[in-house]
Amino acid sequence: MSGIYNWMYYIASGGLILIGLYIVLVKTNLIKIVIGLNFIDTGINILLICIGYVRGRTAPIFSRPGISPANVVDPVPQALVLTAIVIGVAVLALALSIVIKVYQHNKTLNVTKIKGLKW
Amino acid sequence: MVNPSLLIAVPLAFAFSIPLFGLVSKKIGKYIPVVALLINVGISFILIPQILKKPAVVSIGGWSPPFCINLVVGPLGVFLVTLISSIGLLVAIYAISYIKEEPTEKYHMLFLLLITGATGIVLTGDIFNLFVFFEILCISSYALVAYNKDKEGTEAAMKYLIQGSVGSSFVLIGIALLYGMFGTLNMADIASRVTSADPTFLFISLAFLITGFGIEAAVFPLNAWLPDAHSSAPSSISAILSGIAIKTGVYGVARMIYTIFNADGILTFIAFLGLLTLLIGEMSAFRQNDIKRLLAYSSIGQIGLIVFALGIATSLGVFAGLFQIVSHALAKALLFLAAGYMIYRVGSKSIDSLSGLGRKMPLTSFAFTIGSFSLIGLPPFAGFISKFSIVYAAIQVKKPIFLVFVVIALIATVIEAGYFFKVVQNLYFKEGKNVDNVTETSGYIIVPMIILVISIIVIGIHPQFITGLLKGAAGELLGRTGYIGWVLGGS
Repeated sequence: MSGIYNWMYYIASGGLILIGLYIVLVKTNLIKIVIGLNFIDTGINILLICIGYVRGRTAPIFSRPGISPANVVDPVPQALVLTAIVIGVAVLALALSIVIKVYQHNKTLNVTKIKGLKW
Repeated sequence: MVNPSLLIAVPLAFAFSIPLFGLVSKKIGKYIPVVALLINVGISFILIPQILKKPAVVSIGGWSPPFCINLVVGPLGVFLVTLISSIGLLVAIYAISYIKEEPTEKYHMLFLLLITGATGIVLTGDIFNLFVFFEILCISSYALVAYNKDKEGTEAAMKYLIQGSVGSSFVLIGIALLYGMFGTLNMADIASRVTSADPTFLFISLAFLITGFGIEAAVFPLNAWLPDAHSSAPSSISAILSGIAIKTGVYGVARMIYTIFNADGILTFIAFLGLLTLLIGEMSAFRQNDIKRLLAYSSIGQIGLIVFALGIATSLGVFAGLFQIVSHALAKALLFLAAGYMIYRVGSKSIDSLSGLGRKMPLTSFAFTIGSFSLIGLPPFAGFISKFSIVYAAIQVKKPIFLVFVVIALIATVIEAGYFFKVVQNLYFKEGKNVDNVTETSGYIIVPMIILVISIIVIGIHPQFITGLLKGAAGELLGRTGYIGWVLGGS
């Protein structure tokens, strides 16, 4: 049991990434595809956090009393995740605004019916 | 010495100042990209001789390299920055009067952000910083593809956005795995310790990174977004996407394979993939009837040729691949700019409607002809030298498989010649319908085209203007211990 317990976060992040990929590949509704992209982003953020996580240690806020480098988790992945969240929000906002335009032009969100450009 | 971080800071600062200048006067906005990129071109030309003598490593924040975000300006970086800012400058001059759809300030701001992203990608020495700049480039190009807000543009941008953000997610997964293995984000630091890690994890991480950058580079199984995005975007953006954006994807792949992972084993596979991309791109281009779509597929083919040359992995092969980057960037930017204005005057994208333009728009047609001849590889244009060196390098490897590759690459070139000659014949030797009112391009539009024509011919006749820089750049890609030495000091 302890094996799964130790790998729990990795399994969760991998699962989220795979669910997101599944949604992007299979679903035909554009909004759902955008949600799938967001699932992938969230999965990666959890992956980054759990790479830097050390069991039993606390957040690296050095202004609090009693915090030393020996009892905090790795702060670098948390900085990376903050950046990745910001980028994810930007992509999400742009994606949704393009979806609105696509809907105005095609009157549908179903990707199998949007065929203006043939391959 | 000029501080190389200005190369990133100048376009970034000017980009966000455009809305502020817009408060003063609506007309200033379109001249700001020209000013910013003029500064960048100046800085990069000043840097070239200094960097060739001694590469510069700029540490940001005052810590020494493995612990800080740093810029590594080697010959490869300065070469690509010079290319990016020169092509960017010419396209910015073209856009002054080409872009009419409001709100134009947003176009110019996003354009400068795209240039910032591309410059950052090629200069940074930190792998997460590479991802951030990559996202700046991607997000601004999604928005620019949809700039006209018409039906094709939004649909193409949606496709590009979905595939592009899956690609950048893959890059981030690869970076996360690398950080988990090495506990560092500095590319030189990772490269120096790459042998100590488990090969399975390394391979997984390399696969994620190559797939991620491969989507931006449009290598064969990942190229579905490119023809739509490049043909539906405004022509100035098609030029910049074809000339610069996909090259940064190739740079990402090359940097990962050569410098960070030192993965010699997959190079033949990469060369094969490049060849497949070349063949698929040229064959699809051959049956297109839409001029911009034809140019977009031809871009896929040329990227295939560049990847193939980088996969040869001798110093001559990498040199030829980098030369092909220059000649393709010049020729394809010229073709998109010329085609963009022909489409603007005629009002249709189909090749048949361009008939007879040779007499009505002689300068633009001449520019288009020079660009297509250079892409095919006819002497005395720049494309001849690069294609010739790729073929020569592939033959020099002396492996039978590469001889087969060369034969296939030459067949693809013949196909390419087939469709470009068809377009040029249409321009000059067919009677045009409905072209009586068409007039020659005027004003700012013609200046970048003339400069591109002159540079294609000058580089074709005197390749020694750039060979010194390109040899240094090829040496940087192949000499990874040198790269590690610049950044970490010692050895």
